[in-house]
Amino acid sequence: MRVKLSALLAIATTVGLSAPPAPAQQPVILKVAIVQQIDSMNPFLAVFQSSTEVGRLMYDYLTAYAAADQSVTEGLANRWEPSADKLTWTFTVPEGKKWSDGVPITARDVAYTYDLMMTDEVARTANGSFVANFAEVTAPDDRTVVIRTKAPQVTMTALDVPIVPRHVWEKVASLKDHTNEQMPVVGSGPFVLTEHVPGQFIKLRANKGYWRGAPKYDELHFVYFQNSDAAVQALAKGEVDLVNRMAPAQFDSLAGKEGVTRNKAQGRRFTELMINPGAQTRTSEPIGDGNPVLRDVRVRRAIARAIDLDALVQRVNLGYAEKGAGLVPPIFGKYHWAPSAAELRTFDPAAAGAALDAAGHPRGADGTRFGLRLIGRAGRAYDEQAAEYLKRSLGDIGIPLDVRLVSDNQLNESTTAATYDLAFSGWSTNIDPDFVLSLHTCAQRPGADGKGGTTDTYFCDETYDRLYAQQLSEFDEARRIEIVKQMQARFYDQVPAVVLAYDNALEGYRSDHFASFTTQPAQGGVIMAQNGMWGYYGAQPAEQAAAAPRGWGGLAAFGAATAGMVLAVVVYLRRRRATAGERE
Amino acid sequence: MRLAGRVGGAALSLVMVAVLGFFLFRVVPGDPVVTMTRGRPTTEAMQAQLRAQFGLDRPLHEQFWTYFTGLLRGDLGTSFTFRRPVSEVILERLGPTVLLVGTATLVAVLLGLWLGVRAAWRRDSAFDRVTTGVSLTLWAVPTFWLGMLLMMVTGDLFPSRGMRDTDTAPDFVSQALDVGHHLVLPSVTLVAVVCAEYALVMRSSLLEEMHAPYLTTARAKGLRDDLVRRRHAVPNAVLPAITLVFLRFGLVVAGAITTETVFSWPGLGLLFYDALTGPDYFLLQGLLLVTAGAVVVMNLLADLLHGVLDPRVRAV
Amino acid sequence: MSGVEVIRRWRARTGGFRPAGVAGAAVLVVAALVALIAPLLIPAEALDVTRVTAAAWQPPGAEYWLGTDHTGRSVAVLMAQGAGTSLFVGLTAAVLAVGIGTLVGVLSGHFGVWLAGALLRVTDFFLVLPALVLAIALSTVLPRGLGTIVLAIGLTSWPSTARMVRAQTLTIEARPFVERARALGGGHAHVVGRHVLPSVLPLVLVNATLAVASAIVAESTLAFLGLGDPTRISWGAMLHQAQLHGAVPQRAWWFLLPPGLAIVAVVLAFTLVGRALEAVVTPRR
Repeated sequence: MRVKLSALLAIATTVGLSAPPAPAQQPVILKVAIVQQIDSMNPFLAVFQSSTEVGRLMYDYLTAYAAADQSVTEGLANRWEPSADKLTWTFTVPEGKKWSDGVPITARDVAYTYDLMMTDEVARTANGSFVANFAEVTAPDDRTVVIRTKAPQVTMTALDVPIVPRHVWEKVASLKDHTNEQMPVVGSGPFVLTEHVPGQFIKLRANKGYWRGAPKYDELHFVYFQNSDAAVQALAKGEVDLVNRMAPAQFDSLAGKEGVTRNKAQGRRFTELMINPGAQTRTSEPIGDGNPVLRDVRVRRAIARAIDLDALVQRVNLGYAEKGAGLVPPIFGKYHWAPSAAELRTFDPAAAGAALDAAGHPRGADGTRFGLRLIGRAGRAYDEQAAEYLKRSLGDIGIPLDVRLVSDNQLNESTTAATYDLAFSGWSTNIDPDFVLSLHTCAQRPGADGKGGTTDTYFCDETYDRLYAQQLSEFDEARRIEIVKQMQARFYDQVPAVVLAYDNALEGYRSDHFASFTTQPAQGGVIMAQNGMWGYYGAQPAEQAAAAPRGWGGLAAFGAATAGMVLAVVVYLRRRRATAGERE
Repeated sequence: MRLAGRVGGAALSLVMVAVLGFFLFRVVPGDPVVTMTRGRPTTEAMQAQLRAQFGLDRPLHEQFWTYFTGLLRGDLGTSFTFRRPVSEVILERLGPTVLLVGTATLVAVLLGLWLGVRAAWRRDSAFDRVTTGVSLTLWAVPTFWLGMLLMMVTGDLFPSRGMRDTDTAPDFVSQALDVGHHLVLPSVTLVAVVCAEYALVMRSSLLEEMHAPYLTTARAKGLRDDLVRRRHAVPNAVLPAITLVFLRFGLVVAGAITTETVFSWPGLGLLFYDALTGPDYFLLQGLLLVTAGAVVVMNLLADLLHGVLDPRVRAV
Repeated sequence: MSGVEVIRRWRARTGGFRPAGVAGAAVLVVAALVALIAPLLIPAEALDVTRVTAAAWQPPGAEYWLGTDHTGRSVAVLMAQGAGTSLFVGLTAAVLAVGIGTLVGVLSGHFGVWLAGALLRVTDFFLVLPALVLAIALSTVLPRGLGTIVLAIGLTSWPSTARMVRAQTLTIEARPFVERARALGGGHAHVVGRHVLPSVLPLVLVNATLAVASAIVAESTLAFLGLGDPTRISWGAMLHQAQLHGAVPQRAWWFLLPPGLAIVAVVLAFTLVGRALEAVVTPRR
């Protein structure tokens, strides 16, 4: 017994205190922190941003967006051509691209994927909106895909649908129950999924046969963190190499940290304050209980004038945002609209007060005009702080606010049922502005039962709707851009919502481990959450990146502690045994 | 007879949890589908399809019937977030929790009982006062705060999150060491809070025992104090204490939720926290059932154990 | 929470703990004074993130004794302001829990087989359920706010009181003088009001004191998990903010230590007072 314990003690001491032997050739690994869960690895079902991000690494789309300027570039297809009536599109899938198991990628894989989505409603779960307008997809030969649409569609080169290998997916019995975790997962992207432990990590290895060329390092690991605080802490310690979605204060805390480089990028997201413009269903029946005074556009404009956007950006975003105006963030330069000097609403509480007086809402005896409710999400730092500012700003012009911070679910319920006056919201936008513009058309309002519809602000405006229809079938890009800008100007003028800010994307990486990343766009762009996989694909390992194992000091301390405890037990047992005879 | 009654009672408790869970999460206003699809391109048809997929378009009593008959087959419903059976999602996360809770409980029981025995035997000694004082203080400490504090104090010594690093060598020894390394802070946190209670329980249990007449008899027989303690008092006092350990399993469960949240330990507690942010009602419902089920079973075990160990109970 | 019963079981037999009880009471008086006076003295500007002028994350210094938080508000001011919320939730939740517990306990102890059986079943059911899990579930479902937290804690922590009160009720009702009262024609109201309640009240008081302690811990835990009332400052909410805004990676110990220590001090104080009271109420063996 005694001998065994001693031996155990010896082992514990040795194992704990000696440094581990360094393997000759350690693989170069990029470790990325993710905060959001992975809902599914099945690309037809995955809807979380984190999952689609991993999906982009596993599967190429038919077309891609260039890293430098986000213009449409080669994906699986390298050429595309619409017919004269814009109803038939022909895509060419060139020879030489292979799935990660070596099978050639053909047009039949593409047709199979789209066809599956058109025939199986489960396959439409994640990306169904892209094929809603498709009439027929065929592959007359291995190189050609022909898509016929029901109506002309300008977004045909922006089909964000992962194309899956037909020879693998044909064998899937039930799409609904398929987790797509038969490792390694056959794909076409720069990385191959090799392991997924839910709640812990995702491992991918470089696809050496990737048609653009193999990535510059061996493995890509996504490590799950429960909050961004923990992720930032791990970056500071060197436990991970890349972190995004930092809060401004966290970003600031990394300033000057050795071995860490920060990336302040223009983001795809905007934050808005919705103003209930008198919500109605699709059949123009009133819905919800929004304050009727907000139906008057003069009142909405006055509210917008009373909000100091610059102060919000400075104090709440700590300067890590740009002042808002139109629906398309500046990162998508082409479609971004900024108000001209004549259109711009400057911050002017006095003018706002005067406008309210003129609109028939003079201050009462207690100095107030009318009260409004403001709903935001509890636990979202922005809402909690911005609510305080708005309470004060609008209080100053005689509109006391009743602030309610509620759960995500309750917030959605209120905005869907239109039981709000003012509410915080926000959207992530895509390169093609169609989706974010479509949210504000009359057709997106809910049906008579209050269900259905995905309207954001209950906006319904004839001018806006006419412009929306025009841009959807305008194949001349310059003219389409012009229309899109007119729509944003109209939205700004009618204020169903005030776009408060375009949030910066705040990222940080271990530059002592990875020298550089490809951002999208090249100037001021993001590394993670791109419209593509360039950030991960283009990561450049630093010299001697594989050296320096981390955190062994703690492991040694742990070993020492274990050894100490074993020692204590041994001593205790011995003492007891030694005195046992005498005691009894 | 007694056994049958106990098991029946436990089963009834479980049924009540299931019913409570179902209706608790159904009275919430709001359409889960809207939450599920918020912020991404969705068509109305897709929403309707999701509603049908999760059975949300059917009347409440039908949903209840489906859920309840499913339960009998071990089907806990489908998670909104993962779009997979809740039972599968929960099973996946069971291992880490069992490891953390098991380690912490074992250490806490041994340490707590030992401290309690010593404190009770040398009542009013410095040791007793310190142990009792520290235990009372620890009992007042919020678990999550202790965890955050430990994390800040230890700095770089221990990993701040998770159960293992992704780049550890795949051999067993390296993996085990890595997990052990990650396990230190969460288990210390959990032990600190739980152990305090065990020490207090053991101390009071032994104090009650020490006034029992048979101990006076034993002492009168001329047995030495130390022996009286080891042979008579402790074994008898350990019984109620051990029973209480099982009864207090709910405390460990609560501690595990907060500890796992602070340290991103990938177990059921963290899953619980993640399910809250959805909120993923079916998953929450399943977790409620599983945690409550674990506690019910532990209570049942405590009862049975008590019956086996204590002949007086067996006779009744 | 479960500790209540433990500490109730653990009778303080020695007189040595009385000074501890006095110390606990002193802490409570200070905390109560702070909670009552602070809202009167603290100007709204000091709490309004839109009006603060100080830099964020300042370490303690002459101007800000406990430093500043992520928005530049003084941590000392927040601590004083948070005392009220924490104490209020603790007290009301404890009153609710002990109230339900006493009612259920007396009813199930006093009335006959059927009601007693049913109530006992329900009590056992809630006693077994992990209270925190249920409280979390309740606060997810109900709208955010102080009322929800009070309700969630109160509805989940009454069973131990109920059990104890029931036992005491049964003991009292078996006493000869109650028998006599019944024989003399005393109705339920008379027996319960005149005999049962007065004799369980001291125990209920002890229980309530200890229940406040666990309710304060429970509040901080719920707030930490992001289920608190976001428009109010409490110690638990401060720790939630500390976690949300990265106090640990920034080593901002001044934002992490004070709220936690305050919780520990007040909870410990309630526990000590409760135990001292118990020593008075329960005669020594």
